[in-house]
Amino acid sequence: MFSRIAYALRETWESFRRNLTLTAAAVLTSAVSLLLVGSTFLIQRAFENLLVQWRGDVEMIVFVRSDASAEQVALIDSVLRASPTIIDIEKLRYLNKTESYEEAKRIFAGDPVTLGLLTPESIPTQFKVVPLSEDPLLVRSLSDQYRTLPGVEAVALAEDEFEVISTLSNFIRVVTLVTSLVLLLVAVGLIWNTIRTAMFARRREIEVMKLVGATNWFIRIPFMLEGLLQGLIGGIVSCGGLWVLNSAWTSGVTGFKPGTGISSLVVPDSYLTSVMFILLGIGAFVGAIGSAIAATRFLDV
Amino acid sequence: MIRLENVTKIYGTETVAVRDASFDIPKSQFVFLVGPSGSGKSTLLRLINRQEQPERGDVWVAGRNINELPASRVPHLRRSMGNVFQDYKLLLNKTVFENVAFALEVIGKPRHVIARQVPIVLDLVGLADKQDRFPNQLSGGEQQRVSIARAFVNRPLIMLADEPTGNLDPTTSEGIMGLLDEINQTGTTVVMATHDHRVVNAMRRRVIQLDRGVILRDQERGVYE
Repeated sequence: MFSRIAYALRETWESFRRNLTLTAAAVLTSAVSLLLVGSTFLIQRAFENLLVQWRGDVEMIVFVRSDASAEQVALIDSVLRASPTIIDIEKLRYLNKTESYEEAKRIFAGDPVTLGLLTPESIPTQFKVVPLSEDPLLVRSLSDQYRTLPGVEAVALAEDEFEVISTLSNFIRVVTLVTSLVLLLVAVGLIWNTIRTAMFARRREIEVMKLVGATNWFIRIPFMLEGLLQGLIGGIVSCGGLWVLNSAWTSGVTGFKPGTGISSLVVPDSYLTSVMFILLGIGAFVGAIGSAIAATRFLDV
Repeated sequence: MIRLENVTKIYGTETVAVRDASFDIPKSQFVFLVGPSGSGKSTLLRLINRQEQPERGDVWVAGRNINELPASRVPHLRRSMGNVFQDYKLLLNKTVFENVAFALEVIGKPRHVIARQVPIVLDLVGLADKQDRFPNQLSGGEQQRVSIARAFVNRPLIMLADEPTGNLDPTTSEGIMGLLDEINQTGTTVVMATHDHRVVNAMRRRVIQLDRGVILRDQERGVYE
């Protein structure tokens, strides 16, 4: 058993060295495509941070002053419920101080100054309103009405703040996703080609192996490992690139004035780490697929 | 040990390489397959180690119908056979020792077995002192000896040789035939395809003569004609 593993590893390494230029091309292509995949994840997450308050078709948020009394909150609630034809009562949600603070932590992840000013006590609570009406003017007139209620601090409309961004984020998501998928396919093709070339270069050895009774798996595994390694190295390179990109972005954003929306485009490190693991996984998968197809297809040399 | 029953092999749609061939080769026999190029000698060998499968008929090896063998068992069938070719098929980037060791390595034999078996078989073929040479540093006869060593190192039941003396001069050929004879003496069945008259006539073994895929003659202690 040990000698078989040693054999597979030795052969993998030898072949890797022999095809250095092709290998480098395959590794770089997978790295670039994976970097794009990773960027897609991060951009998506950044936009989500920005849009987190507007999740689930919320189009209006009624912020309630942190010092509002329970009666005032109840009054606002009953006023909201008084327009069941315009507001979706089922989806009406009230976020108390703890919940609002949790949300704020995400929105102000890249803006510690603003976040520092907020405490679970001082934060405004909020009603998330999902309108039934498609008429923006109706929703707007409603918001003007709510603004005058006692205890209401402000009323925000999605239309004013994030409509553009959400459209933009959808567009960017589609573009980056399609581009990275195409590049991933190219990476599979390149790895496939590298493995095919490696097998062609060693067709004599493969012929001898088959004649003396080596199993197909024994012959195939070093080639598959080689492809897997190429994908994995591509993944590692892309992780490095993603880290550099994200660090540059994060430090760039901290230069902005606190309180502007841009600061919420910062992604927490824990998320970056999980994206990196995903990239390594996809890289290995891409390599394994490309080489498995080649190794199965070209075994009959 | 090897039995063919009404075997027909057709390449493509028209080319009949072997037509209705039947014979039975008992254990430890030495058999020549003779005939001109394209008469079907190599195809018969390829049918025996299942590099090819017949359109009709059955091939039996060591009591098993190898055409019914699942593809996953073919490697194990091949481990019971040694193959020798006209062009040696040695790996040029490996030394003599490594070439022979390769055959054991790729079927997963442990290192200590390789270290013990390879010198024994290199000694048998008379190349113990050249184990660190590369194939290009050897004569044709020596290269063929390496290839025989590689075919024999796993002690196969059957040795299949396709024109093993095809590239060698008469004296060298004699040496190679002596070696194959020696291997045959150990109980290994040897099937050798050749169109070398001298070799066949000198050995006086069973001769199966082919012409355009058909067996014309099957004779004990035959000559080439």
